[in-house]
Amino acid sequence: MDQTRASELLFDQGTLVLSGWNAKAIERVFPAGWWSWDSRILAWRTYASRYTEVQELISQRSIGTTLLRPHWQKVLWSSISLPDLREEQSEAINAWQQSKRGVVVMPTGTGKTEVALRIMANEAVSTLVVAPIRDLMYQWHRRIQMSLNYDAGILGDGVNNVKAVTVTTYESACIHMPTLGDRFQLLVFDECHHLPGGMRQDSARMSIAPYRLGLTATPDRSDGNHRLYVDLIGETVYRLSVKDVAGKSLAPYEVIRIPVHLTPQEQARYDHLGKQLSEFVYQRRQNVPQYDWQTLCSEANQDPAARQALLWFRSRQAIEDRATEKLRILEDLFRLHVGSPVLVFAGSNAMAREVSLRFLIPCLLSHCGKRERQDYLDGLRDGTYPALIANQVLDEGVDIPAVKVAIVIGGKSSTRQAQQRLGRILRKQGEEIAVLYEVVCRDTNEELASRKRRRNDAYTRTRHRRL
Amino acid sequence: MLTREHGIAVYDGAFAHPDRLTRHQHQHYTALAEMMLEIYRAGQGKLRRELHRSIHSLLEPVPDALPRRADAFCKLLDDTSEYQQDKAGAAAKLRRRVYRLAAPHHPLVQSKFELHDSLEPEIKQQISAELGEPWESITQRFFIDIPDFQPLKSFDGYASGVELLGRYNVAQTQVALYDALMMSVWAHDDLKTILRYAKLAGLMHIITRCEDGSYRFDFDGPASMLSHTTRYGIAMARFIPGLLSCRQWRMQAKIRPKKWRRDLIVELDSNSGLKSPVAASAEFDSNVEAEFFSDWGPAQREGWQLERESRVLHQGQKVFVPDFTLIHVDGRQILLEVIGYWTPEYLKQKLAVLSTFQSHKILLAVDKTLQEHFKELFPNVIFFKKRLKAAEVVELIHRASL
Repeated sequence: MDQTRASELLFDQGTLVLSGWNAKAIERVFPAGWWSWDSRILAWRTYASRYTEVQELISQRSIGTTLLRPHWQKVLWSSISLPDLREEQSEAINAWQQSKRGVVVMPTGTGKTEVALRIMANEAVSTLVVAPIRDLMYQWHRRIQMSLNYDAGILGDGVNNVKAVTVTTYESACIHMPTLGDRFQLLVFDECHHLPGGMRQDSARMSIAPYRLGLTATPDRSDGNHRLYVDLIGETVYRLSVKDVAGKSLAPYEVIRIPVHLTPQEQARYDHLGKQLSEFVYQRRQNVPQYDWQTLCSEANQDPAARQALLWFRSRQAIEDRATEKLRILEDLFRLHVGSPVLVFAGSNAMAREVSLRFLIPCLLSHCGKRERQDYLDGLRDGTYPALIANQVLDEGVDIPAVKVAIVIGGKSSTRQAQQRLGRILRKQGEEIAVLYEVVCRDTNEELASRKRRRNDAYTRTRHRRL
Repeated sequence: MLTREHGIAVYDGAFAHPDRLTRHQHQHYTALAEMMLEIYRAGQGKLRRELHRSIHSLLEPVPDALPRRADAFCKLLDDTSEYQQDKAGAAAKLRRRVYRLAAPHHPLVQSKFELHDSLEPEIKQQISAELGEPWESITQRFFIDIPDFQPLKSFDGYASGVELLGRYNVAQTQVALYDALMMSVWAHDDLKTILRYAKLAGLMHIITRCEDGSYRFDFDGPASMLSHTTRYGIAMARFIPGLLSCRQWRMQAKIRPKKWRRDLIVELDSNSGLKSPVAASAEFDSNVEAEFFSDWGPAQREGWQLERESRVLHQGQKVFVPDFTLIHVDGRQILLEVIGYWTPEYLKQKLAVLSTFQSHKILLAVDKTLQEHFKELFPNVIFFKKRLKAAEVVELIHRASL
């Protein structure tokens, strides 16, 4: 090994590089397995996230190693305007403060963002806020502007403007962390259940930031990868469940399910497609008894018959999605709630655009720019617009005006999506009861999905009613 | 380049074979590709969505044309197309205007129940009159900031259907490599070019010399040795067009496709028939090298044989491939570097490289105008005027007694 080389700890493309140390010295100072020998550069390498511990061990045990100089900056807030914290918010902040690392679990609508902003205000260090989608990224930008009077940098959505406090998306954070990993002291992972997915972990691993905060309402992942939080962010330091706050900071809510009948033509086509589908699956199961949905999907790329089956399935979904009857029901619900802002969730972009053109209400889709989005949200808040339609863009954490009426006219059946959607309309405001209408096609898969949803925790305290 | 969603590959045992349309098995695609180009050539003014639909319906009756394949072709065709863009947020402004005009009439109903109800068609007529534009044209512009709803402005296209198919094949190989963990290249020739393209793509290397004098390059990225990561797969895909422009190599990549239980191998070599979209780089850096090479000729001179760029010197991630290697029948080897055309930056870099590798036996042939920069520093140097002659180099070998 290269003894003549200067002993130095460096940040290199998302990793730490330690040169001028022999294997014995490494063994003596660091726990086993921390470093790997990189023969390509003749030095030791490990993930940047080990930085704090590594730096500490080196400075305790060795002189003569040039230490890494992070490109951190002190941040001066010119003014801070944050609302007084609620009890559970203070508890969450205190819990995080113990180690300045960890995950805070709080239901949507209980002020997670305020918790993070308060922590950012207290720490006043270079901070990177990572959000799942660009809409949320822009929302963070706005919240930081409003609460901390700071014009944060933006990384993502074609913008590359990095400042001491910057907002970004998981995708961009993952791509750029090799160059930015030594520039932030605090990482805030919003909706952090997105972090453990595949390569996105790099946005935590490739940073030297000692302080880390994860925020989520739904920490559990079906792939079991929520175990990785400890490594990537820290332990779960605070947990508040929906039940703890229902009726407290959340309004009580009611779910009303409205079954929709397909037109005779739609129903006929729907049934026909269904018959062909089950015939296909039946045939396949003659040979492969465990033939299932996933097999079908993977076969569809090579097998024309499987491909056809997939097309049948998609057409069926499209019928559910865009049933004419749904538009009529929407008309009735709009009539019923004239004067009260209404939020509509569609199952697809196409459906959202169709509704938007039919009723001439704004549709909030991913293509909307920052300004347009803001205009729609503000407009719904101040009554300029009577209603808003969105697809999954609003599913998570998007700051929307306190709405008392929401309508779901399509979408997937996943638990998380339903929970997040409920969270949207549950902001506490007066004593009025919030209503979530679920418009589902009768005698279709959609109805089954809706039944499944009702068994979920978030719904257990709701009243169910049918029109 | 295509996106991951366009990728098609057949998994066969330990191997993944990226989709390949060959003259042999896919004869019918040559005509289809011409027709696809025709659809786009005649597609001016049509919406992106319509063009994509046309491509899909063209391929739908073809038994082996998967929808993904059609999507991939759409992407490749779009890559050389220009679509009309929304100007200065005009669509958003239009939408905002319309929504605001309609808001007081909410909800727009189709049948009146009460006196104050607003009928949908009436309100739309009103708004259309207010804007002085037929409703039809308003709806056409309404979502023009969404790619699907943009009309085609111009289409550069590809020279022929065959070229489009060639591009498709390369692109599918690249997609397969998005999931690559690491890549090895064995090469006899164009070593310098291969390493240069790898560096341009941002890859790190391990260089091993094989027994037969050829080289093995293992490519991956900084964090690859910490965990099996596919994060450098895109860099490896980006490296492929450059590699394809080189001669005499074979490549093997280990890929880890998402949701697949194990790793697979992708193989490729210089005879695979894939056509590089980049031109092959010139064989010689300059005329000086080319003329010297032909002056020396294929035969031995006093026992010395001349080979071009056949040795790779490396130290860590620094690499130096001297222009020529002289190999004696008795096994002695001498490296020869020619320094002719220059800029101040080039010269600075070259001097740094030479000092990094000064422990190697390197002869220098330097343009006379650069004499002052080299005289003191390097002992084994000849200065040439415009042309470097074989005889002079032989003489230098004697003089330097190597």
